[in-house]
Amino acid sequence: MSDTAPIQTRQFPPPRAAYIHVPFCRRRCGYCTFTLLANRDDLIDRYLLALERELSLLGARQEIDTLFFGGGTPSHLPAEQLERLFEIVWKQFQLADGYECSLEANPADINAARMAVLRQYGVNRLSLGVQSFNAEKLRFLERDHTAGEIYQAFELARESIENVSLDLIFATPQDTPAAWRADLQQALSLSPAHISVYGLTIERGSTFWSRREKGVFASPEEDAERRLFEQAIDTLTQAGFEHYEVSNFAQPGARCRHNETYWRGGSYFAAGPGAARYVAGRRETNHRSTTTYLQRVLAGESPVAESERLAPPDLARERLVFALRMMEGVDITAFQNQTGFSIEEIAGRAVAQFVEWGLLSRTAGQLRLTREGLMVSDSMWERILAV
Amino acid sequence: MTQIARAAQIDCQHIRNFCIVAHIDHGKSTLADRLLEFTGTVTRREMKEQLLDDMDIERERGITIKARAVAMRFTFEGETYELNLIDTPGHVDFQYEVSRALACCEGAMLLVDAFQGVEAQTVANGYAAMDNNLAILPVINKIDLKHQRADEVAEEMEHSLGVDQDDVLRVSAKTGAGVQELAEAIVRRVPPPKGDPEAPLQAMVFDSHYDEFRGAITYVRMMNGTVRKGQKIRFLRAGMTREVIELGQFTPQRTARRQLQAGQVGYLICNIKALDDVNIGDTIVDAADENAVALQGYEEPKRMVYCGLYPSDGQDFSELRDALDKLAINDPSFEFEPESSEALGFGFRCGFLGLLHMEIVQQRLEQESDVDLVQTAPNVTYEVTKKNGEIISVHRPQEVPDLGDIEEFRQPIVRVNLLQPVEFVGPVMKLCQERRGVQHGTEYISTTRVMLTYDLPLAEVIYDLHDKLKSATRGYGTMDYELLGYFPADLVRLDILVNGKRVDALSVICNRGDADRRGRAVVKKLRSEISRHMFEIAVQAAIGSRVIARETVKAMRKNVTAKCYGGDISRKRKLWAKQKEGKKRMKSIGSVDIPQKAFMAVLDTGANEK
Ligand SMILES: Nc1nc2c(ncn2[C@@H]2O[C@H](COP(=O)(O)OP(=O)(O)OP(=O)(O)O)[C@@H](O)[C@H]2O)c(=O)[nH]1
Ligand code: SF4
Ligand SMILES: [Mg+2]
Repeated sequence: MSDTAPIQTRQFPPPRAAYIHVPFCRRRCGYCTFTLLANRDDLIDRYLLALERELSLLGARQEIDTLFFGGGTPSHLPAEQLERLFEIVWKQFQLADGYECSLEANPADINAARMAVLRQYGVNRLSLGVQSFNAEKLRFLERDHTAGEIYQAFELARESIENVSLDLIFATPQDTPAAWRADLQQALSLSPAHISVYGLTIERGSTFWSRREKGVFASPEEDAERRLFEQAIDTLTQAGFEHYEVSNFAQPGARCRHNETYWRGGSYFAAGPGAARYVAGRRETNHRSTTTYLQRVLAGESPVAESERLAPPDLARERLVFALRMMEGVDITAFQNQTGFSIEEIAGRAVAQFVEWGLLSRTAGQLRLTREGLMVSDSMWERILAV
Repeated sequence: MTQIARAAQIDCQHIRNFCIVAHIDHGKSTLADRLLEFTGTVTRREMKEQLLDDMDIERERGITIKARAVAMRFTFEGETYELNLIDTPGHVDFQYEVSRALACCEGAMLLVDAFQGVEAQTVANGYAAMDNNLAILPVINKIDLKHQRADEVAEEMEHSLGVDQDDVLRVSAKTGAGVQELAEAIVRRVPPPKGDPEAPLQAMVFDSHYDEFRGAITYVRMMNGTVRKGQKIRFLRAGMTREVIELGQFTPQRTARRQLQAGQVGYLICNIKALDDVNIGDTIVDAADENAVALQGYEEPKRMVYCGLYPSDGQDFSELRDALDKLAINDPSFEFEPESSEALGFGFRCGFLGLLHMEIVQQRLEQESDVDLVQTAPNVTYEVTKKNGEIISVHRPQEVPDLGDIEEFRQPIVRVNLLQPVEFVGPVMKLCQERRGVQHGTEYISTTRVMLTYDLPLAEVIYDLHDKLKSATRGYGTMDYELLGYFPADLVRLDILVNGKRVDALSVICNRGDADRRGRAVVKKLRSEISRHMFEIAVQAAIGSRVIARETVKAMRKNVTAKCYGGDISRKRKLWAKQKEGKKRMKSIGSVDIPQKAFMAVLDTGANEK
């Protein structure tokens, strides 16, 4: 793109990333509030039809660098329907050289037939929803796999896909420091390319929420939860992983490029129920109810439920916040060039205070979270975003 | 038209002016309903419960706040009488409404609940009526109650008020039983007003309210003479001359008449734009009457408590002022003036008749404007004589001079009557003693009920004595108080420091002997009210430069969203922005968000730690 391009196009180049939401799971885990249907495999065909419709609206086939199949559980689709999914998506998107194509999978779904389809269609990154190796914790989380199945799935997956990431959850009632250490060690023993660790978040509307309200179980105290998180950071970085985003750790060169697009304020296409896209400076979210999504799209209506376009300074603040969630932080000069606003202008007071309190550090033109800042970062974002 | 014509013919002999007074909730407004119905003033179709309580806030809370006057017609033994009734509030905060009503009447109906019996306000109002030389009509209400004990109550009335048991009427404002007899008793036992319709005009202004369209409506009790539409009148104290544009009576809505004459109660509309121009207690005379004599007016209502009201967003200052102005128009008993605080910025110091009044004003402010308020803890007014002889009135703790400059520190003392069943006397005495009360008297008003009289600091009475009394007496105790005056006491200002910085709006005045305990209690309470921040917060209590208590709000340990991908960005951004928005209700003092509730924490007396 030339330097004379208008600001609008310079700031919002056409997306080079796409997200496809696959809203099916075998059953809903108790902590989960994602957009998905459990036990409604009868709708998969209609979903594929709708997805095809939605994607066709994008017009000409686009070239992209990263593609991400998330859910729900994309791996829940039977091999044949998986194939159809890829056919549909591939019609719309052309993967550029050196592309990254990720798919979320549950260990119990990994079998030879599905792996063959993934390989055939060029999926080159698998994100495996392991969550834990501890039987009791897996039961608590209502997962449908055993620790043994994880090993099998991992080995099988690795035969066709090198780049496998594992998801782990901590801060369940089972997570003593020792139990959590065991989880981390077992994950490391598989030498995955990437690990994501998520503090268990219990949202209103999940069955866990009401169970915790009733006192069926208790979440760990803030202090204990923090220690578990720090334990993960220390263990994984010592094992050679780079802690590159709040919850994400990668072997050198194995960061998830697709997710980096989100955090860096890049544009991306998206399709499927509840999917969110960011195209030409507009954020849109599809209807979160899968059935409404299907009805709308198949009736020729727009699936978009929410749409917003932020004023430039708000957009800059949003960008700052999400970029700061990456551990390498923000290049102060580049930020100003990209957004047209200096950090000083949009959040000077808050940032200065956070630096003073040791929550942010400013070195060599980079602004980044300190360990302390990382731990309480949500409170920082409040101050930056509400002006 | 016929009514207007007839109104002119009423002479004093056919007028009866009376008010209904009682302890709160004994059924005054409900009995007024029955009288309105019985006299045909209001038809059954128009009737609703406590019809005279027509302010939203009265209906919401089920209590009377403002006294209301109504003129009724009643034909008895062939003669038609005009009965002017004034329904009064029972709550002690609105006692001045009662005192104004008393000055307009020749009789007072003293109502007592047939189950509750004589309570503190019964005694206070009964004596106030006697002091005004009114004929007392003792009435026991709610005789329909299953657990009514009217006979005992009649005995209590005799003991506490000296009324003859045989004179006590028994009614049910619910069923209407006894209302006919009551109406007859009003005619027989309440003396007619004196006054001479032919004498020079003399009318007492006993109340006013503001009407959006007509301006100030002046409530008058005609003492002498006659006032007519179109007449030029003069407000003596205000020195203001006006023409009467409309006059009339409340029935209960405003009903225009051609004239009002000695003995009657009614209203005048005379083009007065601001309520400030109408002085309650003023005397209205004929504009041409050079020798007119003023009637004895009323004492100004006394503001018992003060608090600061601040907009939580400094931008809203002028909006808050407009809202306060608007409120004050219809509530002259509430006063405010601008003040500023280091911690809270610009706001207002507001004076109230009591805590209920304060609560009501605040509720109205919140309903009628959308300014988020930060309220400081209520305090009473103190007096200080400085070493240089200057005497100052202290309306807020910040105004207390340096310890070294104080010659004498005085606090308001009230005489409190506490009325409860005998078995609770012990606990109630203990309550009063803990609050530095000095016992003044004990009186058995029946074999089972005792009235204790204590002199207590107003500050101790206002904050929580009522609640404490209720819990110490299983709800049976009632209390009433009147101001005795200002007396010396060993008082200090207790300051609160947040992260080393004194927060002026959190200072309180307390007895030196209580300071340690209170300081500890307050910082502890504050610790629980202030949520964890990104840094540690020290909360200290100090007298002068001496720190007497300290608590720490530990720094937040973990607050970080784990998952944040493409679909979460909008949602999280909105959530975070909103969370901060929610904290706008708080006051940010040196980066510490202090919630509204914390400003009340300073009222914690630490009594539970004793
Ligand atoms: N059973 C019964 N209840 C009554 C009677 N009179 C009043 N009440 C009830 O007592 C409560 C208080 O009645 P109000 O008329 O509001 O009392 P009030 O004395 O005007 O109260 P304040 O103006 O707030 O002092 C209401 O719930 C009435 O319905 C009665 O004769 N019998
Ligand atoms: S498998 Fe994942 S998406 Fe499906 S219900 Fe469980 S947590 Fe939710
Ligand atoms: Mg009432």
